[in-house]
Amino acid sequence: MHRGAPRLSATAGTVPAVSLRRVTKRFPETRLDDEVVAVDELDLDVTDGEFFALLGPSGCGKTTTLRMVAGFEFPTEGSVHIHGTEMGRRPPDRRPVNTVFQSYALFPHMTVAENVAFGLRMRDVARDEARRRVAEAIELVQLRGRDGAMPGDLSGGQQQRVALARALVNRPKVLLLDEPLGALDLRLREAMQVELKQLQALLGITFVHVTHDQEEALAMSDRLAVMDAGRLVQVGTPAEVYERPRTRFVAEFLGDANLLTAEAVDAERVRLPDGTVVRIASGRSAGAAVHLSLRPEQLDLVAAGTPVEPHLDAVEGTVARIGYFGSAIEYDVALDTGGPEVLVTARLGNARGVVARTVGERVRMRWTPDSVTVLED
Amino acid sequence: MVDVAPAPAPAHRRGPRPPAPPGPEREAARAAARRGALIGLPPLVTMVLLFAVPLGIVAVYSVATRGRTGRTELADWNLDAYARLLEPLVLEIAGRSLGYAALTTLLCLAIGYPFAYWLTTRRPGVRAVLLVLVMLPFWSNFLVRTYAWRVLLGSDGPIVTALAAVGLGEVRLLFTPFAVVLGLVYGYLPFMVLPLYSSLERLDLRLVEAARDLGATGWEAFRRVTWPLSRPGVVAGSVLVFIPSFGAYVTPELLGGSRTTLVGSFVVRQFLSARDWPFGSALSMAILVVMLAATVAYFRAQERRS
Repeated sequence: MHRGAPRLSATAGTVPAVSLRRVTKRFPETRLDDEVVAVDELDLDVTDGEFFALLGPSGCGKTTTLRMVAGFEFPTEGSVHIHGTEMGRRPPDRRPVNTVFQSYALFPHMTVAENVAFGLRMRDVARDEARRRVAEAIELVQLRGRDGAMPGDLSGGQQQRVALARALVNRPKVLLLDEPLGALDLRLREAMQVELKQLQALLGITFVHVTHDQEEALAMSDRLAVMDAGRLVQVGTPAEVYERPRTRFVAEFLGDANLLTAEAVDAERVRLPDGTVVRIASGRSAGAAVHLSLRPEQLDLVAAGTPVEPHLDAVEGTVARIGYFGSAIEYDVALDTGGPEVLVTARLGNARGVVARTVGERVRMRWTPDSVTVLED
Repeated sequence: MVDVAPAPAPAHRRGPRPPAPPGPEREAARAAARRGALIGLPPLVTMVLLFAVPLGIVAVYSVATRGRTGRTELADWNLDAYARLLEPLVLEIAGRSLGYAALTTLLCLAIGYPFAYWLTTRRPGVRAVLLVLVMLPFWSNFLVRTYAWRVLLGSDGPIVTALAAVGLGEVRLLFTPFAVVLGLVYGYLPFMVLPLYSSLERLDLRLVEAARDLGATGWEAFRRVTWPLSRPGVVAGSVLVFIPSFGAYVTPELLGGSRTTLVGSFVVRQFLSARDWPFGSALSMAILVVMLAATVAYFRAQERRS
């Protein structure tokens, strides 16, 4: 079920663009003498040239991680390497990276062109070359003609472009983006997702993109890392992480998931709450309770009693609730457990030919065994 | 381009004046105006009685005549007092006052800026305490505090004694220009710190990070981002320190000697000893005009720059 070619992390022989080794960051707690662990023994490799997303809820340590790569924070323990060079306590102005800040941090007292030229000026780039590169960068983000405008006179989307140009004009080896689309409205955000992705492909620069928006991370990145409470939970391509969530946290954080508790029958089969025995991909010892994740869109509904083909598994139940979303319809199906109600949600595309069900109708829910993911916790 | 063009201004805003709102709305607007006038009345009366009227009296006296006995005669209106403003003694005192005020302002800025910056980096609770400490001297009388400096700087005071003890000999501190500038800096430093603090506090620290990220050293980031963006605070603080320093009376009078006469003392002398009220009034008017012009010019220059 893997869509797109899976990309492996740093293969032998190529130096990762960014490499974190057992990085821990502790902040002194303000009131007590305690410390807050923001990042906990993080190991991470970002391959050169890839679009990498760091995804997690607020407070998970993703921004702190980015700030340690940029040089605004230094790790309490562990090391940060950029293209093989240990960064140690090197300040941000001596690192080959640039940052696009959340809410942009444009210099309000400088014009668009002055903002974009700032980095070149600091690095003493010759005047003619600087002027040419600034013009190129402004052209690249489609802001030609706004060179003389002040940031305060620009729309949010335009400010976003200036922030991008200001970072990219320096030709960084790695571009760090801290929730760059968070301040934009939905439609603009979607358009910028496409543009950022195209820009990254065009320039071939490694992008490390911090976001709490799972759709954004899935849509834009080549690979993504899910963080929770300062730790890395899972790293992989969007398809790997979405379709094979390692933990309950990942399954719930990325999209919707039906989480079911089942009992292992043998290495290949588990017993669902209603007694149905279904197949799983990976092995578990018999008798143990396991947690399963089933994505709603991987489930199909047919009339009760429909014969089950050998390559599928199925359960029967009663439609308890219906959610109509236009392009999709969600059915919450209550399993016949005899105990407390167990609901499983199926999301069906509202395509021609899909039979609409009604509340109270008996249905059979079916899926291919590889849609069932056994979670670690 | 996916950007949404800025929405055009509502049509009626483009016209020279919005049309008067009809009926009940106009009535509501009038009621609001009446309420506004009622709220504005007490401060207006206070300002007129305590500021405009006395100023008018000073203006009238400045064109009056000094009688033989020193009594001011409100007759024979003339500009003689204004002509005397260009006498060498007046120019010398004015020049000295400008110099002292400029030095005081620079010293307050040099001390106040780092302090205000440091203040913004403290935790909120600590900040509140420190801000109260900055304002604490205001809780006791300025005159008393200036007298305290006399004790501290006096010939048998702790500072002179300590200096003598470490072998620096007999140093005279009181009644010197040093004592005057020290007293002025001490007295007006809070007026520099508070506006600087409020302007530095509003500074988005991410801008400094952005500058560092783009290759600026700490110093470059300060020079190109922090300093220009804190300039409103620098201007406000400088004006707030410069103006009272220029017209200061108590500090130079108590801590300075006869050779450190500043305009404030000079004006007072015209009223109390020389009994030349027209000249004293003309001096006051001149100081007022100069300060007003300087302030307006300074703020104009700032506006153009931003």
